[in-house]
Amino acid sequence: MSETVAVPASIDTSVPKNYLNHDKSIKSWLLTLDHKRIALLYLVTISIVFLVAGVLALLVRAELFTAGETLMKPDTYNQFFSLHGILMVFLFIVPSVPAIMGNFVMPMQLGAIDVAFPRLNLASYYIYLIGGVLVVTAILAGNIDTGWTFYTPYSARLGSSVIFMTLAVFIAGFSSILTGLNFIVTIHKMRAPGLTWNRLPLFVWSIYATSIVQVLATPVIGITMLLLLLEKTLQIGIFDPALGGDPILFQHFFWFYSHPAVYIMILPAFGIISDLMGVFSRHEVQGYKFVALSSVAIAFLGFLVWGHHMFVSGQSAISSIVFSLITYLIGIPTGVKVLNWVGTMYRGSVSFKTPMLYALSFLFLFTIGGLTGVALGVLGLDIHLHDTYFVVAHFHYVMMGGTVIAAIGGLHYWWPKITGKMYNETMGSIAAVLIFIGFNVTFFTQFVLGTKGMPRRYYDYQIQYEALHQISTVGSWILASGLFLVLFTFIHSLMKGKKAGSNPWGAATLEWTHTASPPSPHNFDEQPIVTHGPYDYHALARVSGDGAAQTSEPELSESRH
Amino acid sequence: MDQQFDASKMGMWIFLVTEVLLFSGMFVAYTVYRVWHPETFDLLSGALDWRLGGFNTLVLLGSSFTVAMSIHSIQKSDKKATVMYLVITLICAAAFMVVKYIEYTTKFEHGVFPGAHFAPHGEHYAPFDVPYAPQFFSIYFVMTGIHGVHVLVGMGVIAWIAIRTAKGHFDSQYYTPIELTGLYWHLVDIIWIFLFPLLYLI
Amino acid sequence: MDHASHGHHITPKSLLIKVFGSLILLTILTVAVSRVHLGALNVPVAIAIAVVKMMLVVTVFMAVKWDNKVNALVIGLSALFVSIFLIFTLFDTAYRGDLSNVDRVPISDQQRQQSAEMAPADAGAAASEMPASGH
Repeated sequence: MSETVAVPASIDTSVPKNYLNHDKSIKSWLLTLDHKRIALLYLVTISIVFLVAGVLALLVRAELFTAGETLMKPDTYNQFFSLHGILMVFLFIVPSVPAIMGNFVMPMQLGAIDVAFPRLNLASYYIYLIGGVLVVTAILAGNIDTGWTFYTPYSARLGSSVIFMTLAVFIAGFSSILTGLNFIVTIHKMRAPGLTWNRLPLFVWSIYATSIVQVLATPVIGITMLLLLLEKTLQIGIFDPALGGDPILFQHFFWFYSHPAVYIMILPAFGIISDLMGVFSRHEVQGYKFVALSSVAIAFLGFLVWGHHMFVSGQSAISSIVFSLITYLIGIPTGVKVLNWVGTMYRGSVSFKTPMLYALSFLFLFTIGGLTGVALGVLGLDIHLHDTYFVVAHFHYVMMGGTVIAAIGGLHYWWPKITGKMYNETMGSIAAVLIFIGFNVTFFTQFVLGTKGMPRRYYDYQIQYEALHQISTVGSWILASGLFLVLFTFIHSLMKGKKAGSNPWGAATLEWTHTASPPSPHNFDEQPIVTHGPYDYHALARVSGDGAAQTSEPELSESRH
Repeated sequence: MDQQFDASKMGMWIFLVTEVLLFSGMFVAYTVYRVWHPETFDLLSGALDWRLGGFNTLVLLGSSFTVAMSIHSIQKSDKKATVMYLVITLICAAAFMVVKYIEYTTKFEHGVFPGAHFAPHGEHYAPFDVPYAPQFFSIYFVMTGIHGVHVLVGMGVIAWIAIRTAKGHFDSQYYTPIELTGLYWHLVDIIWIFLFPLLYLI
Repeated sequence: MDHASHGHHITPKSLLIKVFGSLILLTILTVAVSRVHLGALNVPVAIAIAVVKMMLVVTVFMAVKWDNKVNALVIGLSALFVSIFLIFTLFDTAYRGDLSNVDRVPISDQQRQQSAEMAPADAGAAASEMPASGH
């Protein structure tokens, strides 16, 4: 069919070969070793997961519109919220930013032609896909209603579908490990000449910290899922109290991965926001070193706080106290980041392009999410708020208001680079505002519901909660319309978007300054040599003003202030 | 070339970290249950035959040594010696698995299964039917089982590497796959260095 | 001569043999020590010997001593995080029930004790299982 479609000859000759059009066969896509194409494979797959899990969320919210039965039976409801959680956490948000934007952007920001192990990169994608297939199998096998946490002993006694689901999580974890490993080695070994650690874009720093967490934490969910599998099939009695096991031990195992996983989800978002703040404030990101190292600090501290998910599980009081205290500490590096972002805007001149609107939404929503997290770390308060909608609201503010918003912002920001086309700025901005409003209507309400005592995951509720539930559900529709508008904006851009220049935002990182939009198959025509920092817009202006290529200019960023 | 070698090696080390963390879950489970039921674990280490475990330790240490020697040989481009050492490694690994097989089958014959099906009988195993014995054996089977899988995988890789060496794919200028396989094999050995005393001796 | 090719370190044969010998000796030692009753000391001694053996394998067989320092850091990290996992879990499990409203004895143990207390009452079959509670 592609043969018969008439392609205007002018385009065919004038467009230089880029990574999208140099080979159009399906095989060249499915067996590609190009990090950019792999990123797009992930983009499509992960977007489908997001769509499915998002629709599940809408259905769950719709069911809660009235007390009692609205749309579905309780069992269906339990399965829907479980699947929403499992899909969103393990197949959407954990791989999202690293696998899509990390893959696409990070090697280019390093000035590398690809990641360190391109074959491994492709393998990670297919392993992820196998995980996805197993999830579908598990859904077809039916009745997964464990929530995304798979707590024992319930999960160990449920039907065989749990086996598929735990295998799926195990295998998806493998994909995550291999991606992390690949990225760490890439960042260590593939940096362009002159790209010292102090000149790495903050997005790279955050991907680096994320990858370390992935490599260290993910194997533990592997062994946990394996033990759960054996508990289920052979009744090995490690987690099941009826056999002499300890269900709280399962929670330790689970959260040793799943709490650091929270930072796998949020750290890349921090990186995107740092880059956006720099570019759209046209100012060097304030406190570069602190922002970079706070990612590493968060990654480390993230391993020491998993027990704050277990304050009411019956774990020892001493461990609750230790975990609670360390939880407060995470506020410090996180605060360092937020302050520096605000400082960057204060010193720079802000342009309110769509990506920046998302960055501002992020700043607002993530701050709420983070602060309520510290509140939940308070032992006494947590007894009241545990397992209520307050917790649900908190982690949606961090995961959705933080990561997803940052990811959408980043996607807008890198869209011209990925596709070579601009999107419609008006539509983009309207979508950003809709998402911001819809999100707050949906989830701020849930903070109120939670403090009033509405427990999470319940199918039915007392009539006095109904009004707030209805507001929340209406919010979910606004949110969804905003998200669909984003999808529409992107499709519109693909069909009718204006051609993007190589550096439409005037950014100073290598993927903008040294590659075409879209980039050529090997990214760079010649090996770039880095002579200035990632947010040194003055140096950039000088270079482009002279019309000169990168020469061995002296380092200017230090002397400027 | 050197860059590529460096990158591959670092990748392997990071992979080994994930392996260590994978096993760490089992070591944590072991420690937690040992702290809870020290007398059970004390008693039950006697249920395992330290002579078989000790033999396996020596065999694995030997295989670790021969892998190190195979790298030493290929660095000197002595392909014949490299293949010989790799084959000895394989023989050691096979011996380890045979002993493991004997240990497992003897236990299964006497009703020593992991978990709920634990029902020991026979004069050696019957006295070990104490509370939390199933947990000990669950941990034993899972730990040694996962380790055994790693040995089998290692055997496959070593066989492949040996064949490639024999075909002349490697010399002192390029031997990255042998070096990486060696690292993996040493890790498998290290895990056993810990499993042996924890399960068989104390 | 040992450092001839490729700029890579070649570990001398004699050193490999020495390390292998030490590993064998340490294995014999750990078995021997476990035969001696040291009370609470048996466990730490066994672990200490295992750690020494591990260090030998890591530094010489895996050649970390001559390797890029980043790799040594990577190994150190894995040890650090395994300890975190272990120690923080023990903060709970070793002190479980320090809140007075949670029983320290697991439910399964309580049930076992209850059935043991009931056993002497219905005599016969149960009594034969529990010789200690006989007459």
